[in-house]
Amino acid sequence: MNNVKQSPTKDSSEKAGHREDCRRERNGAAESGLRTDEAYAVNQPFRGKQFAANKKLSESDRERLEKHIPADEDLKFIVYGDLTIKSRYGGTFLAVTDKRIYGFDDTFENGVRIHTYDRVKRAFVKRYYGNAVLIFSMDSGGGEFVDFSKEHVNFLRFSYKVASLYDSAAFFIQNIAQGNSIDDEMRIMDASFEKQFCVCPQCGRNLIRPGAPCMNCQSKDKIVKKLIGYVLPYKKMLFFCLFLSVITTAVSLLPPYMTKLLVDDVLPSANKSMLTGCVLTLLLTYFIQYGIGAVRSYLLRISGDKIVADLRNDVYDKAQRLPMRFYDRTSTGSVINRISSDTSNIQSFMLRITQEVVVQFFLLIGIIIIMFAMNWQLTLLSLIPVPFVVIGARIFGKKIAPYYRRIWRRWSAVTSILTDNIPGIRVIKAFANEKRSYDNFKHYNDKWLKTDIRASRITTLFPNIVSFAVSCGSVIIWGIGGNLVIEGSGIITAGLLVSFLSYTSMFYGPVNFFANLNDSYQSALNSAERILDIIDAEPESDFGAGKHPDRLEGKIEFRNVNFSFDRSKKTLNNVNIVIEPGDIVGIVGTTGAGKSTLINLLMRYYDNYDGEILVDGINIRDIDMEFYRSEIGYVQQEPMMFHDSIYNNIAYGSAGATVESVINAAEVANAHEFIARLPDAYDTVLGERGTGLSGGERQRLSIARAVLKNPSILFFDEATASVDSETESLIQAAIERLIRGRTTIMIAHRLSTLRKANKIIVVDKGEITEMGSPEELMALKGKYYKLIQIQTMSDQLRKSKEEERFE
Amino acid sequence: MSRLYIDNDMARFVRKDLTLVDMELFDGRKFENLEPRRLFPLSGLEKYITLLDEEGTERAIIRDLRTLPEKERQVIEQCLKEYYLIPKITKIADCREKYGVLRIWAQTDCGGVVIEIRNIIHGIKLLYGTRVQLRDVNDNRYEISDIRAIDSRSRRLIDSFL
Repeated sequence: MNNVKQSPTKDSSEKAGHREDCRRERNGAAESGLRTDEAYAVNQPFRGKQFAANKKLSESDRERLEKHIPADEDLKFIVYGDLTIKSRYGGTFLAVTDKRIYGFDDTFENGVRIHTYDRVKRAFVKRYYGNAVLIFSMDSGGGEFVDFSKEHVNFLRFSYKVASLYDSAAFFIQNIAQGNSIDDEMRIMDASFEKQFCVCPQCGRNLIRPGAPCMNCQSKDKIVKKLIGYVLPYKKMLFFCLFLSVITTAVSLLPPYMTKLLVDDVLPSANKSMLTGCVLTLLLTYFIQYGIGAVRSYLLRISGDKIVADLRNDVYDKAQRLPMRFYDRTSTGSVINRISSDTSNIQSFMLRITQEVVVQFFLLIGIIIIMFAMNWQLTLLSLIPVPFVVIGARIFGKKIAPYYRRIWRRWSAVTSILTDNIPGIRVIKAFANEKRSYDNFKHYNDKWLKTDIRASRITTLFPNIVSFAVSCGSVIIWGIGGNLVIEGSGIITAGLLVSFLSYTSMFYGPVNFFANLNDSYQSALNSAERILDIIDAEPESDFGAGKHPDRLEGKIEFRNVNFSFDRSKKTLNNVNIVIEPGDIVGIVGTTGAGKSTLINLLMRYYDNYDGEILVDGINIRDIDMEFYRSEIGYVQQEPMMFHDSIYNNIAYGSAGATVESVINAAEVANAHEFIARLPDAYDTVLGERGTGLSGGERQRLSIARAVLKNPSILFFDEATASVDSETESLIQAAIERLIRGRTTIMIAHRLSTLRKANKIIVVDKGEITEMGSPEELMALKGKYYKLIQIQTMSDQLRKSKEEERFE
Repeated sequence: MSRLYIDNDMARFVRKDLTLVDMELFDGRKFENLEPRRLFPLSGLEKYITLLDEEGTERAIIRDLRTLPEKERQVIEQCLKEYYLIPKITKIADCREKYGVLRIWAQTDCGGVVIEIRNIIHGIKLLYGTRVQLRDVNDNRYEISDIRAIDSRSRRLIDSFL
């Protein structure tokens, strides 16, 4: 491998100073909130000297180190692992000194393996499935406790949890074995250890620096507390609704009392004027109850809609700011589901909590007071079913909660199929796959149905059990109260019994409501969990917000960059690149070599890489994200067009662009001519994803977008991969006009598109294997040379085929 | 290019390293340092095992491990066992969710472990009705081979997340 690593330039005193700075920073981090044991773990003493570790050194491990490490060796760092070489969970660790490498694992003979650097030809981490192994390629020969008869030594095994630290350790060991300075290499190692402490120990989210307080954990109390934040802006309207509710509730208590008057006073005395008074009072009561009720319902609807709109806006806004890795593992259907149905679910629950709960509570208290005032013995009898209802509600809550989660998962699967298949309807039709597509949908829909039916057994059974229990309470009042009236004991009158029965049935309304509240609470809790999964998710980190130079010159550097999408496979391995301002760089390599990943990292779609990427000498993580991306033009292989006019699609990302600048951009991109020929020209509304235009036309619109943006840096990712030769030359001409004077990185399969490049980078299996001018690489006769040879042959073949066709 | 499928006693395998084998075909062709990997790690544990060389190029595919002679099968199985670490959960002691992270204290066939899952919806999946696959914050995988086979308390603890 032609490693193009940057050699450090600082002298040794500067390096020593830097290390001291690092240590001071770590101590500062500890003071600023890092948990004591973890702060201690970063930097610990051993025989009076400091060493770095990812965990606090235990006394037994210290004894093991004392036993094996000679006094003249300086312990540099320890990486604790979690698996033995035999794939069992257990405490293992790698201890690295200035002279030797120690692997401690109880399953080894003597519990330790020891190496010297001079026999290590190569040190690397090989990732398997769910585990990884630190491997040394060895010079032949023997060693203490090590069988060197094998070419490879599988030194230590560990899970992905510590794989990135072991990557750095392997890099350290290999570089020391090659004769690099230990102090220089420790700088990189120190940074790797510090990165481990740049995550919140509670929730695992990235922190601005080691030990910084986690905004997520600080602000997170309870889900309900967060959701209440959405209700507060409408508190005045909601309080007014509550006031109206109290009025309607109070007047709703009047009719049963009027019944008592009718039975006990009006009818026995045949008092017509009193009857008229009762009728008018009832009429007024109902007018107030329903008139005010209508106003209240209207206001509630408005505030509810506003709450759900705010919630949706926030979820959508946050969804825009989530890093690409969120979308790598989350289906579009599930995100749409959260923005649409989960927000509505929460809205209805919040209204229930802020309105109904208060109203029902007042109603409950009011009725109990009236009932006690009428007859305390009957009131106590009517309360008999309540304890059963409360216990039942608790059991029901526990039973139903998992069902809501399951229902949502099944429904999410259904919506995922919809979001996959409906936009892909052309492919389905092209493969005559309608039936299979339907069967697939039906399969998931049936699964949802099955789960929903199971849940409905509980959700429908419980309210009816509650209703039966409370009806039993009424039956008791009927039996005992009726008996008392028939016996003429004088304790209660017939009117009081009728009125009491009315109040009893009213009383069981709130009881039923509270019993069933758990159902909607559990459903809302599940929805809230999923919404907060987005709202609370770690957004793209923008630690450099507000900080940026006036303009980027376009110098790009990759320093020791390592990256993997899901830790199971390293996508980029120790990448070191320097690109000068104005350079036109071609990146070539086979599919899956890691070319697009380089662009993805430069675009800051992923920031969980090791090492540094600098633009104009500034770490890109420290530059304001919005400014940074506004300085980059990105033309992709499959340009994304929106369901909007051609004009708006070109002006996308360039707010305030003038009409003439848009036309000019289209002209530069060789797009103006075909746009002008369209009946609606720039007003032509494109179909979803730009349907209605050919691939080449879409590509030229995408280039026009980049022209309008006037960026400092340009990325082209296979911009001409899927177009014919004629269109390619049109696009190529547009690209050549655009890239003048700008740092440009072009990924291309067709090497003819790289004819303007002054530098070529060859990527293979995530590593930079060749880098230099096209002439240098041709002279090298390596991979680039071979690719050119193959391409020239295939181009000649294609040309002759095309000529044949025209003839 | 035609793909070489291996069935029955078409090839002999000699274990070379942790996950590597040397293969000699019945026609005398020899391949060194091949790494057996499952083409269907979730749905086909014993079928379609690809053999990749050091460059990652596929040299052959074993159609079904069960058709291989006992000795050859064991060699491949040992390599697969080293390559694929998916601890089988045998018992769940506790599940607690705090700050959006679900922590599962579990006993596995590789020993006790605390599994941390940040996104429950994506981190826990029910496969083929009875198999549960868990993926932690570090992309390590775990599995409950048969949800019906674990004790009722463990099942109850995990059940609410399925």
